[in-house]
Amino acid sequence: MSTALPVQPRTAVDAVAQVHQVVKRYGSGDAAVHALRGVDLEVRRGEFVAIMGPSGSGKSTLMHLLAGLDSPSSGEVWLGEREIGALDDTALTLLRRERIGFVFQAFNLVPTLDVIGNVMLPFELRGAKPTREERDLIGRLLDELGLADRLGHRPRELSGGQQQRVAIARALASRPRLVVADEPTGNLDSRTGREVLALLAGAAANHGQAIAMVTHDPVAASYADRIVFLADGRVVAEEGRMEAERIARFMLSLEADR
Amino acid sequence: MIRQHGSGVLVAALSSAFGVALLQGTGLLTAALRADGTTGTSDTVAALLRITSAVFLGLALYAGAVVTTNTFAVIVAGRVKAIALRRLLGSTARAERGAVAREGLVVGAVGAAIGVLVGSVGVALIAAGARVADVLPATPYSYANPEVLLPAAAVVLTTWLAAVVGSRRVLAVTPMQALGGAEEVSEEESRASALRSAAAIVLGAIGALLLVGGVALGVVSFAGLLVAFVGGIVSFTGIVLGAHLVIPRALRLVGRLMGGSATTRLAAENAVRYPQRSTRSTVGLLIAVTLITTFGVAIRTFGDMIEAAAGNDPVYYANTEAMLTAVTTVFSVLIGFSAVIAGVGLVNSLSLGVLQRTRELGLLRALGFSARQLRRMILAESGQLVLTAVLLGLVLGTVYGWAGAHSLLGAAHGAPGLLFIGFPWALAGIVVGGGVLLTLIASVAPSRRATRVAPVEALGAL
Repeated sequence: MSTALPVQPRTAVDAVAQVHQVVKRYGSGDAAVHALRGVDLEVRRGEFVAIMGPSGSGKSTLMHLLAGLDSPSSGEVWLGEREIGALDDTALTLLRRERIGFVFQAFNLVPTLDVIGNVMLPFELRGAKPTREERDLIGRLLDELGLADRLGHRPRELSGGQQQRVAIARALASRPRLVVADEPTGNLDSRTGREVLALLAGAAANHGQAIAMVTHDPVAASYADRIVFLADGRVVAEEGRMEAERIARFMLSLEADR
Repeated sequence: MIRQHGSGVLVAALSSAFGVALLQGTGLLTAALRADGTTGTSDTVAALLRITSAVFLGLALYAGAVVTTNTFAVIVAGRVKAIALRRLLGSTARAERGAVAREGLVVGAVGAAIGVLVGSVGVALIAAGARVADVLPATPYSYANPEVLLPAAAVVLTTWLAAVVGSRRVLAVTPMQALGGAEEVSEEESRASALRSAAAIVLGAIGALLLVGGVALGVVSFAGLLVAFVGGIVSFTGIVLGAHLVIPRALRLVGRLMGGSATTRLAAENAVRYPQRSTRSTVGLLIAVTLITTFGVAIRTFGDMIEAAAGNDPVYYANTEAMLTAVTTVFSVLIGFSAVIAGVGLVNSLSLGVLQRTRELGLLRALGFSARQLRRMILAESGQLVLTAVLLGLVLGTVYGWAGAHSLLGAAHGAPGLLFIGFPWALAGIVVGGGVLLTLIASVAPSRRATRVAPVEALGAL
């Protein structure tokens, strides 16, 4: 790695998040496993990007790096105008708290907090009361997501789809730079899944929210503005919006090449 | 397997060592007295010492049994998937529960054996020291005392019973759970029976009435103490039996006092998340604090009343004061041993709570909980449990101690009115200080574990 100060690669205007030549190795020496072998990617403002690939392709690792949950072995990870690849645990924690929104496949919500408590959690962690503007946004989000009459419910009193919508409200409420979604529809039936995907796509199109979603479901990926295909730790293709059927065919061909 | 049962063996060993030490100690003292004084006196003293030892051993055994029940309930919760798989393959619920109960028997036996050894060696060492210091005469005494098998057997029995009670949830595990998804596994057994709650309320009410009656009777007769004593035992049995009604409510109240930041609010919710587990991890501490405070308040009030009644006779009072302080100290230390066992249970319960919440802690870390906030949360959780037991114990103990002193001495010539109370501030200070220390110690291991796991790993854990 060079010792010079990293300079943000100006490959894209409006880039909210970028990774540049990132490598992630687990273990060392002969036993080292390469999860990522030099990946470039950027996510722009208002863009809904899907990261696809067979299991073991490195897509989850890439998501962890983008989200500040893990650090690369080499290469750069940029969030806005800040290089975050070498930050320590506390700095990454503060960064996640303020700049990143999360939607996971399952277990998104703190079981002991009610709906409003879960949505407000990121604000409380910062020790900051939401501004009037943010409060308005939260109210609007909860209305749009049909959660306005469920504010006092605990997660176990909600359906899977409702739980996922609470997670989306939480992820969008603090207007993070980037929302990271890990198989957000993996635990949902197909109709509820489509609703959740439409919500994510709407947040990108209408509110300018940048979203990176990891998935292996072609239907989920077909909602994205752009699809990045990963295999064996490398980007093998990058396409604009695609039909689910074409995505499925492409994925099958990737599996066949292995 | 061995790691899971570490705390069970520790608790059994502590109880057994305590019981054996009490017995060996009394045996040693009796032998010394017999060699020294008249036979009649030494026999009475020996009988009294035995009864007192039995009471303290009973306390320690109860505290240990409650802790061990909790341990087994949590172990079973962690094994639900494995048990469900065996059920799927054809094992019966009874056989599964029997296996857990047998583990309880082994844990009890191993712990009891360690306790016999440690307790006997401990007393022998102290006795040797006392002989060198010339406090104890060199009377021959055999440590191969068959009586020590009694506390050991009692420990094996209570540990086995605790395993049987703690493994009740095995019966509710269905083979379907082997196939199930990532649903959070609850360890709560079926809700405590209505019968138990009713019995607790009835006992509490009768006991309270007897207590009031005893104090009232105490104004005219010394016999008030007997009535109040029975009232105290009955009402406290009611409180311990109905702990599942009292403690979760008290925990909520204390939780609200802890403040409204995200960390303390989450901690407050966690402390009442499994009401049965929290109740079991605080009840032992509650008993110990209540008893220590009862003795402290009773003896202090008693002493102050004697002082008031005897007028100003400083020489007479100085002697009583010294004797009463010595009695309070000895009793507090002996009761305090149950508090130590309860403390082991608290550490255990907090650690396992962190272990079971790995994914949730990962989620919190992902959302931006710093390692420091995580540590503060666990500390607040620990503090809430301890504070609840200490506050409740101090209040209950003060009432019991006051009632005890007044029911005995209310009729004495020149005794002050019923509002008179002597509060042992120094003792209360030591109890609160011990509580703070326990809070800190109990949160060390769970905090370390919670902050060591990387968020990515924690999110992947199931």
